[in-house]
Amino acid sequence: MTEQQTPAPIVEISGLTKRFPGVLALDRISVAFRPGEVHAVIGENGAGKSTLMNILAGDLQPDGGEIRIDGKPATVPSPLASRAAGITVVYQELALCPTLSIAENIMMSDMAARSVVSLVPRDEMRRQARAALTRLGMGTLDPDTKVSRLSVAEMQLVEIAGAIRQRARVLVLDEPNSALSKRESDRLFDIVKQLRAEGVTVIYVSHHLKEVLDLADRITVMRDGRTIETMDNDGLSEDRLIRAMVGRELDTTAQWSLQPQARSHEAPVVLSVEKLTAPGLDEVSFHARAGEILGIGGLPDSGKDMLGEALFGLCGREGRVTIDGKELRGGDPQASLRNGMALVPADRRGAGALLTMSVANNVVSASLPRFSMAGFMRRGAVRREARAQVARLDARISHLGQKLGTLSGGNQQKIILGRSLVTNPRVLVLHEPTRGVDVGAKAEIYAILRGIAGEGVAVVMISSEIPELIMNAERVLVLRNGRVSGELTGAGINEEAILARAMAS
Amino acid sequence: MTQAVRTGARAPATDRFTLARLLRAREAGVFIALLVMCLFLSFATDGFLTSLNLLNVGRQVSLLGIMAVGMTFVLIAGEVDLSVGSTYALSGLATGMLIIAGWALLPAICAGLLTGIVIGLINGMLSTYGRLPSLIATLGMLSIVRGAALILTNGQPVTVNARNGALPDVLASFGFMGQGYLFSVIPMQLVFFVIVAALAWLVLSFSNFGFRVYAVGGSAKAARVSGISVNKVKISAFILMGVLAAFAGILGLAFLPSSQAGRTGLGLELDVIAATIVGGASLSGGEGTILGTILGVLIIGVMRNGLVLMGVSPFVQELMIGLVIIIAVGIDKWSTRRTG
Repeated sequence: MTEQQTPAPIVEISGLTKRFPGVLALDRISVAFRPGEVHAVIGENGAGKSTLMNILAGDLQPDGGEIRIDGKPATVPSPLASRAAGITVVYQELALCPTLSIAENIMMSDMAARSVVSLVPRDEMRRQARAALTRLGMGTLDPDTKVSRLSVAEMQLVEIAGAIRQRARVLVLDEPNSALSKRESDRLFDIVKQLRAEGVTVIYVSHHLKEVLDLADRITVMRDGRTIETMDNDGLSEDRLIRAMVGRELDTTAQWSLQPQARSHEAPVVLSVEKLTAPGLDEVSFHARAGEILGIGGLPDSGKDMLGEALFGLCGREGRVTIDGKELRGGDPQASLRNGMALVPADRRGAGALLTMSVANNVVSASLPRFSMAGFMRRGAVRREARAQVARLDARISHLGQKLGTLSGGNQQKIILGRSLVTNPRVLVLHEPTRGVDVGAKAEIYAILRGIAGEGVAVVMISSEIPELIMNAERVLVLRNGRVSGELTGAGINEEAILARAMAS
Repeated sequence: MTQAVRTGARAPATDRFTLARLLRAREAGVFIALLVMCLFLSFATDGFLTSLNLLNVGRQVSLLGIMAVGMTFVLIAGEVDLSVGSTYALSGLATGMLIIAGWALLPAICAGLLTGIVIGLINGMLSTYGRLPSLIATLGMLSIVRGAALILTNGQPVTVNARNGALPDVLASFGFMGQGYLFSVIPMQLVFFVIVAALAWLVLSFSNFGFRVYAVGGSAKAARVSGISVNKVKISAFILMGVLAAFAGILGLAFLPSSQAGRTGLGLELDVIAATIVGGASLSGGEGTILGTILGVLIIGVMRNGLVLMGVSPFVQELMIGLVIIIAVGIDKWSTRRTG
């Protein structure tokens, strides 16, 4: 594209600054979004992407700088003003009413724009909603279906349908596919391309570099509240993007290349699973040896997401799970802990972390008996242990009393990892160990896991991120339809092999 | 949620109006329970299935029903109002004192309703702009309004009669509102309840405002980004609640023309919330219907009536009401756990 042909930006941001107490979230950032382009915004967690999108959505007000829409200086004082300007943000946490129908959700903005004393035009709502759904290739969905009955992917598409209905000229997709399966994200990408062809500007915030490279026309990299650079997507590589995001080289393959496996090959079997059957799992058998990192991969519905909970005893199960020959009772997480199994769940907020409690209390919360005496907490011992774990895991916290919820995703994950380590596990089961964790912290967590394995712990890493498995696991088990569909070792572990076993029918 | 839905398989797209769907509706369970109860009482007692008794039940539930209609709006909007029992007392007393002071009927009633509006406005402001949970804000208002009523009356009973200074024609009309019968058969209280419920049903089911109430309670965030003023909707719901509680209080005084600030409407808020919840409104917002609330009110009313007819002690009645609340809401939760 030559200079003369470059169209005038639809939204232009210059010198935008946003301060939160103690943090400069956006530091004089500048970026221009052109009509009809897919413009990816990438950066580590905390780089300022979400703040920027919230300002565009009218949820936050900037402290300085200028926003121009169609070349004219503009303010976005409210979500309504944002939508009036043609900007629609589809959030990661969806903004839908689960108790209302698809049609009611799609038409909610129309309803807000009408008089509060008017009647609800049910038939028209249904018709319009059906048209919007059809445009996205979802014409088979009944507009009267309650949103709470939809899958997350469908909910996302409903939200996009609502955006299109309002003739959005700028559509912001914030991490749109973190909850989508491969097929569903493919569908989403088709829709994005279709919208681009219709002249809509799509701002695409994502962690998935490969998709960004596939989809985006231009890519803006943010780091520490600044816009580092905006690049035309022309011959860019993932390495190039990572370099821009972290500001340093990060060799993702060589640094964590496979270690010699001789040692763990001969190591004793610690975890042995025979014919494990649980919701989504059908007679799964495998073992893990001391000092090995065993990877578990598979598609979202393969059963791998249930494996951690089933192993740990959070749900009922059949079959035998033994640690060092001792059988663990199903449905009894306490027994699992006592016998040396620790679980780091995928859903940190929901299941793993006590967000409103201090770092120190989180570290010891899975081993309370050891840190209490006659019913009282041994505060000194708690602090010593917490300090030791924080140092070992290199977690960045301001003090041990800091509430866990105020830490970044990566540091939260380290503390949760620390909590598992305090229980002195023989088997450490991790489910999506680096979800919501930025690139730099990921590498640190991998190093920690290797260290843990090196101490003779059997590490079971359940992950949707294939590169993560390839980088870390000495052996990878692939699940499909609740069964083990393949086992890969050494040089046999690669993306094609894993995908083939996960997807072939 | 079933496995199929979670993994993205489509829910049946043909969600047509069928008997099965009718039975799945939240109101169906409550309706069937009410039907069973009525059938049982028809056979177990002589007095239940008579038009006189049924109209009597209708009158007895009317005041509770009028307030429960208001509570339906508040609960759907995702809030709760604990101050309605106190509002009931204060508004009735205010109207009564003004009638005694020689006011005409309409101004006295309007003044009573105005107290409800003001209380609702304060509740709404505290729960939105004041950022207090409505449970706390209205718990405070429960005490404040009750206290105001005690101060206003100095704790003395207020009796509306000619001896105390009420004008005779005012007294007659006021008495008709509470004790009269339309066409000599239908209790006026029931007439008011039916009118209030019908209007509320129209507003909630068919008006843009009703839509907004559901949207705000279903997801305040979704409503906000769609451009709905969440605070205004919630404040409106509280004001509506206040007005209806006041109206019920005025009718209550018209029925029983003596009231005491320390006793009238004590604990009434819990009955109102219970009836609304039994009718299917959710404490977490977004769910509830006027039809459901009417059924909930009727269940409690029919139950009280039936127990009296069967000669059950009032102490046992209290216990049974509690069981009904737990079972009615429990059935809903347990059945959704299984299917949803």
